[in-house]
Amino acid sequence: MNVSIKRMSAIFQKDLKDFSRNLAVSVVIFLPLFIAAIYSRMGVDSLASHYMIFNMTFALTATYVQCCLIAEEKEKNTLRGLMLSPASTADILGGKSLLSFVLTMLIIFFSAVLAEYQPANIAIVALALVLSSFFYIAVGTLLGLWAKSVMESSVIVLPVLGIFSFGSFAVPLAEQYPILKVLVYFPNHQLFEIATKVELGTAIGSMWSHFAIILLWTLVAVALTVIVYRKQTKD
Amino acid sequence: MENIIEVNNIVKVYGNQTAVDGLDFNVIKGEIFGFLGPSGSGKTTMIKILTGQLLPTSGTATVFGEALSQLKKPEVKKRFGVLTDNSGLYDRLSIHENLKLYCQLYDIPFSAIEEVLDSVNLKEEKAKKISALSKGMKQRVVLARTLLHAPDLLFLDEPTSALDPVNTRHIHKGLQALNAKGTTIFLTTHDMEEADSLCDRIAFLDKGKIQLLDTPAKLKKSHSDSTVTIELKNEEIVVLPAGSEGAERLFEFMKTDQVATIHTNEPSLGDIFVQMTGRELA
Repeated sequence: MNVSIKRMSAIFQKDLKDFSRNLAVSVVIFLPLFIAAIYSRMGVDSLASHYMIFNMTFALTATYVQCCLIAEEKEKNTLRGLMLSPASTADILGGKSLLSFVLTMLIIFFSAVLAEYQPANIAIVALALVLSSFFYIAVGTLLGLWAKSVMESSVIVLPVLGIFSFGSFAVPLAEQYPILKVLVYFPNHQLFEIATKVELGTAIGSMWSHFAIILLWTLVAVALTVIVYRKQTKD
Repeated sequence: MENIIEVNNIVKVYGNQTAVDGLDFNVIKGEIFGFLGPSGSGKTTMIKILTGQLLPTSGTATVFGEALSQLKKPEVKKRFGVLTDNSGLYDRLSIHENLKLYCQLYDIPFSAIEEVLDSVNLKEEKAKKISALSKGMKQRVVLARTLLHAPDLLFLDEPTSALDPVNTRHIHKGLQALNAKGTTIFLTTHDMEEADSLCDRIAFLDKGKIQLLDTPAKLKKSHSDSTVTIELKNEEIVVLPAGSEGAERLFEFMKTDQVATIHTNEPSLGDIFVQMTGRELA
């Protein structure tokens, strides 16, 4: 695979400038911080509330922002310019994902600080958060490539926001509605399982299945994204 | 003479509509090759095929000797530039910031920006945001972006369609200067004057097929009716036929000092197109 850090960095710098001037989208990323600050003042300090904020960050920053960035490139025909340049698929998709990744990690970090979340094992939690962010960014890219406009992307991202931010709350209803058992295998729930086991002091060896499920979701999302992107390179 | 593009029996079908229908042509290194035809004649489809954006239904083509499947290679992409009528720009960034991104993508120094902006008459406007520019200025920025990496081969799809006459002339001069330095240009247009003044050879495209292909001079000569129009000093216009009858009458007018002007009647490229297809270019 042909990867150029210089080209990825160029796309990242461009995105950073462009995003900082795009208030319509950029204000959205502050919502998780706002909620984290409110929870902190209210004294809400449960693991579920922390991960609700983190999952919201994933849905809003990693998926929604990424979806808008890609959809805008498509809508304004700038994506075609990138495709015609010497930048490879990896350069473009990697470069276009860097901003969402950096923003997601920053928002999660500051949300955790505001909500005073201190995991028992920061390395395992950080690994799980980074892996989860790859999944959400891939979903954002996929939806952005699928959407015909920024307006449309704002709509098609809503189910992701609903399912992955608040889906975990429906898991207790799985006894009553067996179809909801599928939610247990969603990456947001797997992330929560990892966080819970970390707090219980469980060894990392017993968490591998949760990491594997998130990784599987990520690989499927990345593979679909690459397939759809390659189709977009040809009319 | 080295062919930079070779096209062999290319066909492109969309559904039940044939956009290009068995095209065969070559583009010689260093020439400006005009692809002329009305909207929907297959010009843009051909550019998309030759730049790897579209796969043909059948047929083969090479660009720089590389098959169409190889056009995605970065070293090949660096050798050509593409300007289409819907090439996009980043509205919230300035002209300079837009071009800076492409300098980094093509791995060329930022100093190239000044030079290319000068060639499209936008040097003074480089700090302006794209959203503040007129359609014509945006078209010139896209052209600057296309020229930035000094490609060996330029594909220009209606490059002056949104420009006023002053800027059109400026762009034409720039393209001629670029061509003089060795850049091969593949130009699509429906502006016959533009094709006549810029192109070394032109292909007339209609309904997906090449109807004529030659130099503008030869095309005009082969479609000329060999008549001569003279304007007399009394402002009367007389069209003289070819042959001895016309020559005798011309001699008579000249002998009696009645001639103000003499013009050979060559058809314009537009006239030839209408003659050939029975319809106007639009």
